[in-house]
Amino acid sequence: MLSFGKLVTNEWLKMYKKRSFFIPYAAIAVVVVMIAYLMKNFGSQDGMPTGLEFMVGVFSENGMGQLLTFLAIIGTAGSVAKEHSLGTIKLLLIRAQSRSKILASKYVSVLVYILSLSLFAGIFSLLVGGMLFGLQAGEYGWVDVLLTAAVQLAYSLIYVTVTFMIGVLTRSTGATIGVGMLLVLIESLVVGLLSRYDIIKYVLFTNVNLSVYMEGGTPPVQGMTLTFSLIVLAVYLVLFLGASFVTFKKRDVA
Amino acid sequence: MKEPLEKGKADSTAVLSVKGVTKRIKNRNIVDKLSFDIHKGEIVGLLGPNGAGKTTTIRMIVGLIGMTEGDVLVKGISVRKDFTGAIAHMGGIIENPEFYPYMTGYDNLKQYQRMMEGITEERIRTVVKLVGLENAMKKKVKAYSLGMRQRLGIAQALLHDPSILILDEPTNGLDPAGIREMRDYLKRIANEEGIAVLVSSHLLSEMELMCSRVVVIQEGKLVTVRNLGGSGGETAKAERVNVTFRVDDAGKTKARLERMEEITVLNVSEEKNEVTVSVRDAYIPRVVGALGADGIALYRIEEIKESLEDEFLKWTGGNRIA
Repeated sequence: MLSFGKLVTNEWLKMYKKRSFFIPYAAIAVVVVMIAYLMKNFGSQDGMPTGLEFMVGVFSENGMGQLLTFLAIIGTAGSVAKEHSLGTIKLLLIRAQSRSKILASKYVSVLVYILSLSLFAGIFSLLVGGMLFGLQAGEYGWVDVLLTAAVQLAYSLIYVTVTFMIGVLTRSTGATIGVGMLLVLIESLVVGLLSRYDIIKYVLFTNVNLSVYMEGGTPPVQGMTLTFSLIVLAVYLVLFLGASFVTFKKRDVA
Repeated sequence: MKEPLEKGKADSTAVLSVKGVTKRIKNRNIVDKLSFDIHKGEIVGLLGPNGAGKTTTIRMIVGLIGMTEGDVLVKGISVRKDFTGAIAHMGGIIENPEFYPYMTGYDNLKQYQRMMEGITEERIRTVVKLVGLENAMKKKVKAYSLGMRQRLGIAQALLHDPSILILDEPTNGLDPAGIREMRDYLKRIANEEGIAVLVSSHLLSEMELMCSRVVVIQEGKLVTVRNLGGSGGETAKAERVNVTFRVDDAGKTKARLERMEEITVLNVSEEKNEVTVSVRDAYIPRVVGALGADGIALYRIEEIKESLEDEFLKWTGGNRIA
């Protein structure tokens, strides 16, 4: 287990040592401040959120959820593809570590990355929201904040895992980012187009947004439950990861 | 573990043993039942024309490409059955070594240190000193020249104290000074640390200077394995050699030599005063003595060697481009 920790450290350093590492965090900060500023100055007086409400807003899909997912996709895309384009894959795979372990360490480091993005967004928006709007109790409490964050993380996790798989399959960073983002963008379109058919229940896009199961939400198809969606998502995750690992293990690196 | 026991003693000293390795892609054998052994302290060249399967062979040995048939044993450990165990004894540079350009040389080496137990800071320092990169460790790799990257490549390959180095076209793109430097490193490593080295290349003159043995392949098949008696000492005494004598009187020399047994005069060049003969190695002192006794002045004795290039073209059937 010790050596696996070291592998994850390696992967993290590969991301961290890049000069562009802090850009996503800066982007989040800028957007949070901008939203807060606009709400403070142009929002109606009685519609002012509290700090926690602001935080929930930041995490929700309509808020920054999608931005966070995009940033996570960009961060993930290079994980495997960059090794191929830099040619470093050759020196990486001739170590006394199995390929599965190497790929697993990459996946874990990507998970740490999206967690860090969400954590940063949460703390920063709480800070900004608290300063501008105060921390008095409002419509939402801490539980709501955590739930929204969890829903957002699950959303990111699914798309990041798809992106990870595409990265392994295509070996091209550009293509991976493109396809990953495209999937996020066509999500609602596909759900809309297929809504007449029964299979819609089993499509990834229909299940990926768990916020519909929170208070006041309506599931896209009647009768869908949280458990159902979680199972469908779990099956997709296993499929994506299975395809990634099998491909990575078998691939001839020429 | 059955195989090394069954196949017996001949292999027990081999550091690397390639056994009937085959790579088949779409019913075409890129590499076809290739077998050879490499021993401790040996530098072996893997030679072949473009497309002969050198790179594929090398990459199968280090596990980057899967084998269709056969196996590779490193110190008796199968690459197929116990990849991590086998690769732990190998160090590799596959083509020009590529590093993470935005990290320093030291950070790059640290990456590989973390991937294997037991590599100390001390070892990193030793290896860096060996390749002479002490002053470049804090620089980012993107600022390195190709020669420096190549040296860092050697450093990463030696980091875990391997028994064998596997190098795929290590001198590609290096300037003459870089090539020479590389050669000197490899020879030193092989001599001093007893590390076996397998080098693939199509630079014949390079191989001739560096290797003690060459394995020649063509269209994925083994053509021949040759010892290169580069140092001269290894030539068997009974072997016939071609020697040119530069003398003061070629005609007289020819007449004298023709009277001796076991000498074939191959060529006489009156204007250059040279006589080329084929003679047994052990016989040469007697020839010299005979010439001296006859009062023929002797200015030069040179061995006429077929260059590796000539032999290579002979083995591989000329300049047929595969």
